[in-house]
Amino acid sequence: MSENVDRETYSAARVRALESLLIEKGIITGETVDKVIEFFEKDMGPFNGAKIVAKAWVDPEYKQRLLEDTPAAIAELNFPRGMAGAEGENMKAVANTPEVHNLIVCTMCSCYPWPVLGLPPYWFKDPTFRARAIREPRKVLKEFGLDVPESVEVRVWDTSAQIRWFVVPERPEGTEGWTEEQLANIITPESMQGAAKVVVPA
Amino acid sequence: MKLQHYIGGLEGLEPSSFEKRVFVQPWEQRIFGIHVAMMALSNHLEAVKNVPTTFKSFWTWGHLRTGAEGLNPFDYFKYRYYEKWLGGISGFFIDSGYVSKEELDAKTTEYLENLEAPLPDGGEPAIDEQVIEYLRVGDSPKCEVEVQPKFKVGDVVTVKNPPPVAHCKLPGYLRTKQGVVDEVYDGAYNYYFPTGDGVGEPMPIYNVKFNSHEIWDNLTEPNTEIYVQIFEAYLEDPA
Repeated sequence: MSENVDRETYSAARVRALESLLIEKGIITGETVDKVIEFFEKDMGPFNGAKIVAKAWVDPEYKQRLLEDTPAAIAELNFPRGMAGAEGENMKAVANTPEVHNLIVCTMCSCYPWPVLGLPPYWFKDPTFRARAIREPRKVLKEFGLDVPESVEVRVWDTSAQIRWFVVPERPEGTEGWTEEQLANIITPESMQGAAKVVVPA
Repeated sequence: MKLQHYIGGLEGLEPSSFEKRVFVQPWEQRIFGIHVAMMALSNHLEAVKNVPTTFKSFWTWGHLRTGAEGLNPFDYFKYRYYEKWLGGISGFFIDSGYVSKEELDAKTTEYLENLEAPLPDGGEPAIDEQVIEYLRVGDSPKCEVEVQPKFKVGDVVTVKNPPPVAHCKLPGYLRTKQGVVDEVYDGAYNYYFPTGDGVGEPMPIYNVKFNSHEIWDNLTEPNTEIYVQIFEAYLEDPA
């Protein structure tokens, strides 16, 4: 085995030992962890954010309300209970425009709007991203495949107090007449943190 | 300074990895689930009073972060995100007397011999109900108290330079910098516990705008603005 496999195997055994003892001692149950994982697979994930953005794209008045009072606008839609739950208690949407590109970062750790985007992906948690995005965002975005010209203002949002931001990306050309469901299908988690644009699949 | 607070702006790094997965190893999901359960069963939550768990501690993001910020910074970067969680959370359960290091080590050895060995089953369903209820309800820091914000939109503010504490909510790169209040968030926000540098009691939070060049001088890019949400305790009038 390589050193890397040892490290991962050890962690896998260690966490299983811990979970096992916590169950034996009555702290959690044999199903607690599975239920938490399932919650983020079924109820709270980026599929919620995609529906919100798709609605904002087809309904400019809704978009306005979303930017002005994000929780109230989210509450208008038919989601499972919990859109103002853990890590979504105080969310705020910011919109990309032809003149402004927004990028969300949490330089101190990994604050992320769970109900709308689910759990933070590795790139967002990566200390290298956190270090660089706040100082050279265009360079980082270029490495991610997104070229933001100097004529476009970049706004980097460092989320470190109690507000959780997400981005309403721009609607791509070629989607005129699409249904909200069709639109939601092409909206990625990365685009809702400003790390990518939404593109129409070829 | 603690390097953990000063990650924003570090130079000389490699290109960023665009790894889109949330978990890169299956075991990472398990420690994530354990942390969520601990937050959901924390004794500061009113809803937990009648839940039949043997967990009797105060556990929040603030506690997890205090552990990560307390690491020797050269160790901090040796571990992946969920490796730090696993170390911090295991250490907490040992230090608090819920499990002994010996039994955790022995159990780890058992699972190393057979990772597929089953977990115990059973337990009180009311525990799981509270965990999911916590996820749906959250633990909002927003408080129903009247506060008069010291600053208003358009005010120029200076970021204070308080002595470092065990857990800090102020990104290091902002210390002593000047910005402009862009938004005063509605209401007042507390933190799970007093951090020792002013944060804790309900207070306003501001969205403050900084020009990238004000912070990084010429080591940044043109046409770039930085917006940061900052607790009032970290801000003062310019000298």
